[in-house]
Order: sequence, then C-alpha cells, then structure tokens
Amino acid sequence: MNVPALLEIEDLHVSYGRIRAVQGVSLTVPDAAIVALIGANGAGKSTLLRAISGIVRPRRGAVRFLGEDLVGLPVHQIARRHVIHVPEGRGMLARMTVLENLRLGGFARSGHASTALELDRVFALFPVLSQRRGQLAGSLSGGEQQMLAIARGMMARPRLLMLDEPSLGLAPLLVREIFRIIPRLTAEGTAVLLVEQNARMALQCAAHAYVLQTGRVVLSGPAADLLATPEVQRAYLGAG
Amino acid sequence: MPDLAFLAFLVVDGALAGAIYALAALAFVVVYKASRMINFAVGEWIMLASRMVASGLHGFGFGLGGALGLACVGMVALAMAFNRVVLRRLFGQSLLSSIMVTIGLGILLRGSAAIVFAGIPPRITSPVPLEPLVIRGVPVSIDKLVAAMIAGACIIGLGWFFHGSRTGLALRAIAIDQQVAMAVGIDLHRHFAIAWALVGVLSVLAGTLGSVVLGGGFGIGLLGLKVFPIVIVGGLDSLLGTIVGALVIGILESLTAGYIDPLVGGGFSHVAPYVVLIATLLVRPYGLFGRPDVERV
Repeated sequence: MNVPALLEIEDLHVSYGRIRAVQGVSLTVPDAAIVALIGANGAGKSTLLRAISGIVRPRRGAVRFLGEDLVGLPVHQIARRHVIHVPEGRGMLARMTVLENLRLGGFARSGHASTALELDRVFALFPVLSQRRGQLAGSLSGGEQQMLAIARGMMARPRLLMLDEPSLGLAPLLVREIFRIIPRLTAEGTAVLLVEQNARMALQCAAHAYVLQTGRVVLSGPAADLLATPEVQRAYLGAG
Repeated sequence: MPDLAFLAFLVVDGALAGAIYALAALAFVVVYKASRMINFAVGEWIMLASRMVASGLHGFGFGLGGALGLACVGMVALAMAFNRVVLRRLFGQSLLSSIMVTIGLGILLRGSAAIVFAGIPPRITSPVPLEPLVIRGVPVSIDKLVAAMIAGACIIGLGWFFHGSRTGLALRAIAIDQQVAMAVGIDLHRHFAIAWALVGVLSVLAGTLGSVVLGGGFGIGLLGLKVFPIVIVGGLDSLLGTIVGALVIGILESLTAGYIDPLVGGGFSHVAPYVVLIATLLVRPYGLFGRPDVERV
C-alpha cells in the first residue's frame, strides 16, 4: 500500500496472566479508511482494541499512531490523541442525558469553544439523537444507544475510531442503519477500525480486512477479495 | 412563649443549623461522588480548618477575610498532598484500604492539631450583631441566619459547578464509570485532586460557620459525626438529597431538644439522628433520594 499509515501495529503480544490473547499481530490502518477485523469469539479482536486504547498493556510490540508509540501511555492521553474506543456494550452513562454523554465525548478535544459546532455535526449524522437530547441515555432503545456511543466517539473529532461489535444485539434493520452510517464517518476524516462478528456486513463496508484466529492474523487483504475467499465464506459467512 | 411560636422557633433554628450541616455533608459527598470513597475523617478536616481560621485570627492577627484565605490555602495544600502522596498510591487497590487510610488520617489530624494549635483560642466570633431578630414572636438568631444564607449560596454554587461546568460533568462521569471517563479523555487523578481541593474549601466554610454558630474547639469535629445520618437519609450521591437530609436532621435535633430532652433529662437530641439513620437503613438502604443500582442487561 502506498497510502500513508495512520496506525501501524507491529508484532503485538497481549496476555492475561498465562492466557495469550494476542500473539504477534501486525496490522495497518490507512488514514480515513475502514479496516475490518473479523474472527470468532475469543480470537483476540477486543483485546487488540483494548491494547491500542491503553486499557491493557501489551507484553511486547509497538502501536504506532502517526509515528508515535502509544504503548505505555495512560488511557486518557491516548484518547486526547484522537484515538477513540467505542467498547462492546457501548459504555453509556445511562443516568446522564444524551446531551451530557455527547458533551463528555468532546472532552478529548482541548478547546471548549467548538462544542456547539461539533454537536451540530454529530446531530447531522444522527438526527434521532437531536430529538432525544434531553432524555436519559438509559431510556434509549438498543439501536439508539449504539448510535449515541458512536456519536459520543465522533464528538472527539477522532482520527481513529475503534468500534467493537456495533451490531451486537440489534435487530437486522438497525444493523443496516449502523452500517449505512459507518462509511459516512470516513468523510469526516475519521478512520474506522471495525471489530465485527457480522463478517458479511463488515467486509462489505471495509476497504481492507484482517481475519484473526486464536490471537493471530490468518488472512488479510482487500475486503472484497476476502469476501470471495472460500475459507472466509465457509468459516464466517455460513456458506456451505 | 406560646406553643406554636415555640414550635416555629425550633423548626427555624433547626433548619438554620441544618444548612451548616449540609455544607459539612457536602464535603463528604463530593469525594464519595467522584471516587466512591468514604471519608471517615470529614469531622477532623472541618475541625482542622476551623483551627486554621482561628489561628489566622488570634495567632497572626489577620481579619476574617485573611484568616479564611489562609485556611483555604492550608486545607487545599493538605488535600492535594493527601491525594498525591497517599491516595494515588492506593489507586487500583481495594477501596477499603483507602477508606481505612482516612480513619488513620483523622486520628493523626486530631492528635497533631492538639499540639500545633496549643494555646491558640479556637473561637471564631460572629461579626454580626448577637441580638436575635423577632419575626411574629419567633426569635431568629441573626448569626445563624447569616450562616445559613452563606451555606445556601455555597450549595447553589456547588450545584452549578456539578451540573453546569465542564469539570463538574467530568466529576459526575468519573463517579458513574471510571473506565468510560478515561476513555473519553478525562484525567482521573487531576479530577480526584480537584474533588479533594473542594473538600478543603468546604471544610473551611463548614468549620467557620459551625464555630461561629455552634461554638469552636474540638466539639466542631462532632459535625463530622452528623454527616453520616445526613448522607444515609439523603442518599450517598445525591446533592439534593444531602441538603434535604441535612435539614431533616437539623430540625429533628432541634425538635427533640425542645420537646423530648426536658422529659428525659437531656441528651436524646444527640441520639435521635442515629435512630433515624438505623430506621432509614432498614426501610430504604439507598436513602430517600439515592437510587438502588439498576443495570440494563
């Protein structure tokens, strides 16, 4: 690839005690691109995201963002570099309003002044949240909560947004809605690293993809090519 | 005094004391909200703050403003040092060890205050006239009224801080979920320091108003003991609940002191808040305004 890399992971190893969750993963996310990370439960996808955002500390390897190694930085410092993690289960503050959750999302930016501008931008992406702004986040439907989680991430004007299972537990119609929005995020200058069990949807919207199996990358390439690969079709797309 | 006027006097007097209790209780709630930590030394913090103000007045010969400034600087410095040197090291450990440390700090503060402030009178006198105001036959002590108004203003300011400012929003987020707070870019340790600095300032206010109205000295530390029935009744993390709880406890004390103490020979008014504490724990363990933890699964 001749596109300059935004995120470059090199030979990353992460362990939980004696369990080796990620074993020597290397991957690249180009600027403003969508990269999908697919694989079965327990393949190490979420752990990889947690290592990038600083929640867990890798045992070995480098996470370079715009050339700077993020390993060892505290979580809030990584967020302030506009690397934003939207965890599985969304991490909503249910007892705060939609608007308060969004304002919190803007915390990673240093200036206060543009919060109103940022809110307008996010409400343009998610009009439903604009109507719900005064409601408690906990009272939203599952789909709306997922949108709020992504919207809160976008408030930080992320260069890299990491989405962990955004389609989890949502009705098919809402899953399509989420996947309709994700490509629009890149138009805002945000690259997306997308972890998904719904491999078909993920591969359809990503430019590039990696397949993880027991902590290792077993396949990688342009998403369209992976979609056509027999192994991927058999293992992840449910084709005979 | 006619019966109704006596009742009105007790209620007003209790409510005014309650406003000062509310400040003390808020010094406790601020830290609980931000870090789920129970500061058992809140009474000692208030005592130390009031002794600092008294030393400013009697030891250094400052005016009230200067003495308050000195005490604020001293208490904020103590708060920062305690957070930085002790609590930061315990971060990530069991919350219980941090809580035990506050008990230790309380004992240390009580002991060293007796040595450091030896010979300095603890009293802080009221700059307002002592003649009570009589409204429709009900006497209202002016120093209590002024103290309650100052306490009320501080509480409103604190309410704005938590619900209207960016830092307050961050503190509330930390209180709900530290992981989420970090993930949106909030520096936890910086905000813990801010919360403790607030405890320092609130201690100065509560200690000063408490000393003026209730008398200074080590007795002021008892204000710390009143905090527990207040926050249990009000719910540990609700600002509004804390204020209501403080008023309830203040009025309850005053009423029992007026009506029951003469019958039983005194002292029941000191026990009454704890009776309410136990009753609340039995009926609504999360307090009148606290919410039982509900999670969406």
